[in-house]
Amino acid sequence: MIEKRFHPDLYDREAVDAAVRVYDAFGTIELEAAAEAILVRVTAKAGVDEQRLADELANYALGTTIESRKLTTGGGAS
Amino acid sequence: MSEPIQITFDEGLYPKDAIYGAAYVLIDRCYVHLDRTGENRITVKLQPKPGVSITPEQAIGEFQNEALGQAWRRQILDENRALIEMISSRALGGAAGPPGLDDLLALETSEDTAFDDPLGIAMSWEEKYKKKSNETPPEGSNKEEP
Repeated sequence: MIEKRFHPDLYDREAVDAAVRVYDAFGTIELEAAAEAILVRVTAKAGVDEQRLADELANYALGTTIESRKLTTGGGAS
Repeated sequence: MSEPIQITFDEGLYPKDAIYGAAYVLIDRCYVHLDRTGENRITVKLQPKPGVSITPEQAIGEFQNEALGQAWRRQILDENRALIEMISSRALGGAAGPPGLDDLLALETSEDTAFDDPLGIAMSWEEKYKKKSNETPPEGSNKEEP
């Protein structure tokens, strides 16, 4: 099991939720939201690289966060 | 797969949006993870994806360059924001075209709203240069017809 920690100031909760939904088919993913961090615990199914699954999930959450903040603030990332 | 490498940025020098921008540029080639590790400090962990021909050191270097570029562009934008807004609003105002007849008819023009006209620019030619009734005509210039 791999635990990923997402700081709520840097990652949108909705983006992490979306990432969990996308990668849920590849393993068991638990999500725990606290004030100081959003914790995601990833356990991959047999035949799935657990580290890669956790990293892809984190990338998806970051990309979605950036895209949503870019849309709402009208600037920043390019 | 190579080991991840991490770097910490001071948010006073690199705004969060600049770090987001740099992360977005590299996200197709690297696994990127952001975290806060102190007051105004953001730690970036980078690891090249499998099959991508970039070393962690190259990824970090590219990330730093991109973050610096993003921060600089942002500063230029902030410094010129007023000018950009003024030009944009003028361009949009010009694109709207001249006022139509309905717009002109809808204008409220009364004694209260009329502008001052000390030079008489808005007066008609006849009104401005009409002959005064008690004015004496020059000699020989206004002979009555028989």
